[in-house]
Amino acid sequence: MKYKLINPLVLVAAALLVTIPTIVSGAESGAQTHHVHLAASNASEAVKWYLRHLPCKPIAEQPDAIDCGGFEIEFVVRATLGGSPGTGVDHIGFSFADLDTKMAELEAVGVRGSGVRLQRFEDGSTLREVPGLFKHGFVFDPWGTRIELVEDPEILGFHHIHLHSADPDAALKWYSEVFGGKPAKLKGQQDGLLLGRVWLLVSRHPQGRPAPTDERSIDHVGFVVADLEAASVLMTARGVELQGPTVPENGRSSAKRAFLSGPDGVKIAVVETGWAGIVTAKLPTEDSSASNEPFTTPRTPWGEPDLQGIWTGNAAHGIPLERTAEASETTALTPEEAAARRERGTLGSIWGYEREWRDTTLDYAKLAPSRQVAMIIDPADGRLPALTEKGEARAAAARDARAYRRLAAGPEDLSTYVRCITRGLPGLMMPGIYNNGLQIIQSPGYVAVQKEMIHETRIIPTAASPHLGSNLKQWLGNSRGRWEGDTLVVEVSGFNGRASYQGSDENLKLTERYRLVGPHTLEYRFTIDDPTIWTSPWTGMFQFEKDDAQYELVEYACHEGNYGMTNILSGARAKEKLMKGPAG
Amino acid sequence: MGIAILWVIGILSTGLANAEGEFPRAYDDHPDLSGIWQAIGTAHWNIQDHQASAGPPELGALGATPPGRGVVEGDAIPYQPWALDQKQKNFENRLTEDPETKCYLPGVPRATYLPYPFQILQGTRKIMIVYGFAEANRTIHMDKENPEPAPIDSWMGRSHGHWEGDTLVVDVAGFNGQAWFDRAGNFASDTLRVIERYTPIGPNALNYEATIEDPNVFTGSWKMTMPLYRRLEADAQVLEFKCVEFSEELLYGHLRKSPTP
Repeated sequence: MKYKLINPLVLVAAALLVTIPTIVSGAESGAQTHHVHLAASNASEAVKWYLRHLPCKPIAEQPDAIDCGGFEIEFVVRATLGGSPGTGVDHIGFSFADLDTKMAELEAVGVRGSGVRLQRFEDGSTLREVPGLFKHGFVFDPWGTRIELVEDPEILGFHHIHLHSADPDAALKWYSEVFGGKPAKLKGQQDGLLLGRVWLLVSRHPQGRPAPTDERSIDHVGFVVADLEAASVLMTARGVELQGPTVPENGRSSAKRAFLSGPDGVKIAVVETGWAGIVTAKLPTEDSSASNEPFTTPRTPWGEPDLQGIWTGNAAHGIPLERTAEASETTALTPEEAAARRERGTLGSIWGYEREWRDTTLDYAKLAPSRQVAMIIDPADGRLPALTEKGEARAAAARDARAYRRLAAGPEDLSTYVRCITRGLPGLMMPGIYNNGLQIIQSPGYVAVQKEMIHETRIIPTAASPHLGSNLKQWLGNSRGRWEGDTLVVEVSGFNGRASYQGSDENLKLTERYRLVGPHTLEYRFTIDDPTIWTSPWTGMFQFEKDDAQYELVEYACHEGNYGMTNILSGARAKEKLMKGPAG
Repeated sequence: MGIAILWVIGILSTGLANAEGEFPRAYDDHPDLSGIWQAIGTAHWNIQDHQASAGPPELGALGATPPGRGVVEGDAIPYQPWALDQKQKNFENRLTEDPETKCYLPGVPRATYLPYPFQILQGTRKIMIVYGFAEANRTIHMDKENPEPAPIDSWMGRSHGHWEGDTLVVDVAGFNGQAWFDRAGNFASDTLRVIERYTPIGPNALNYEATIEDPNVFTGSWKMTMPLYRRLEADAQVLEFKCVEFSEELLYGHLRKSPTP
């Protein structure tokens, strides 16, 4: 069994390389161009996003780079700790001739998927006129970089880099001395430095010192010089400490680069002409679950197969239930496809939510995403079997409910998950974007299966014992287990039918099979047999990965902190009032 | 008290071999606490001595508080003056403010003596306790040499356990300070530390002792003690008590489209 728990190559981020073509005159160091590194979590998704929404075009031979009107943006895969606001590089700006049209277009995109998050002003508008400057507004890219959109006919396309500083005057002076450029005022109002045709604007940070840019979505700002060795001598003479210059190992060219710390925690790169970025590390091609090496399931001291430990479903997050028609012949995704799919799954939630909440501290991104095409393994086509007549009716009702969602009149109109009651079975076993921990603890004759989300624990007896009586239904039914060889087989019935999975009702008979397929891999199979809904049983499968070393389930006190419920209901009441009008 | 308990253990080690049965032992010769347990008494109403009192009149005798002997040693809780006032306020507002009525996680030690069974699973590196009320559960880390600070404050705290002879000693801290001790409004803060001791006193009973420390609420530490009984029914099972939906009217009734009068 070969298994890689930590896969550093799946750390994902992107770097934006902005190249200013105009020579900056008067700089002793000879800085000609500069770039900004933005962090995103998937290079190809980031390239697509910028090409779609901003005035940029692809660059030949550089699949992870784009050119925004003379500025080169290069995306590099690496980890991020958050968006750009709050750091010394608060945002970047683009200018449009007709900003109203552009903003209307962005508003129409919506926040879902790799969408566009809008930043509204206090009155709810997305654009406003700044007297003496121009009309402007803000959006965020899906990776947390704040982007200002302005209507400045004098400079269209890439417009500015906006720094935040504890001491703007000192910062301007530093950039001017080290890289050249003249301190000036944009439209006679905003302090900055004009580098070629790009403005480096500086504002006072609202509170104290800005956070360092390192590992944030704008990771660093870069400047390009013709001769880095010569420039570094000049900079060192000015008291600037440089790391480098070096030719990076995975560099696309032999051009050198160096790093230095600018004012206000801004990381700065200085690169030589000809710099073409770093070749993105290749994703692993090894399938962690495939191996012919023999594996023996360990035993507890009392002789039962030992499944104990802390597991996570992080790697399985993103596997769809059903196989799509296009994937009918696919046996496994490529690692790149798997990474992109998980990223889309993560972004499928409300924008921004995942960036703030994703388990970066718990090494979410370090587990290679599963390459499994779909969960359903039976039927063989990976598709749900045909619905019964009743199943069709329930599915139609569910579709209608989604299509004509009404304001919640009370808690009962919301899902049992939103109400923090339960995710149901097998729903609670399914991986999500965070709190994917699964803890198994065994005592003789019992297996406890605890899911972190939303702190639900099932106690499964493995000695023969009768099911509960038919008048005693439960949300999670009643679980009865047994060992078949090294596999824990759990039969669950007696559901109250109020926490449906894919339309299942109280007649559901769920059979689960847990078995180790390697020291770090727990395979979970679930067979759904609900003859009132489906014309035949069906089975899904995915794997949990062991993470004993650093993962710990936290107390997901869902109901106790369910401010969402209060807000949803009070929001609904407020909306009703608005719809009635002032008289109502 | 300490002497009394030592005496009880003495009886155990010498006497029980000849009695009806011994307390079961785990593979490693420690007592095997695995099983379904429950406290019997009225400590969930009030951990101190209390006489019978009326409840909401519409519930008749069903809502009344039954009388009971306290479980607190000496029956006195050494509250700081402000905290005694707060306890009184809690009592007055108990019908809406008690975390139990809101179906919130009960905390430790309250989870132990709520009137619901709980199940202990004694694993090889962890002990898990799953309580009947509100899906509450705890992992007792038996595999950490030094108690580690809790990664985050929580209702149930972070539990580190070790054996002292036949007694399981559990050190619990890292609380969020929102849990109460009972329906009478006894409470602690987020600086609470609870040392629990689970000691077999017969094949089907444990002595449960909880020492309570909280320098921000009490002037000194204090202790409660009670037996825990094994549920002997052949079909004993901790059933689901997902009480969230029963608390929704209390918590969200005023936000309904047609508010409950």
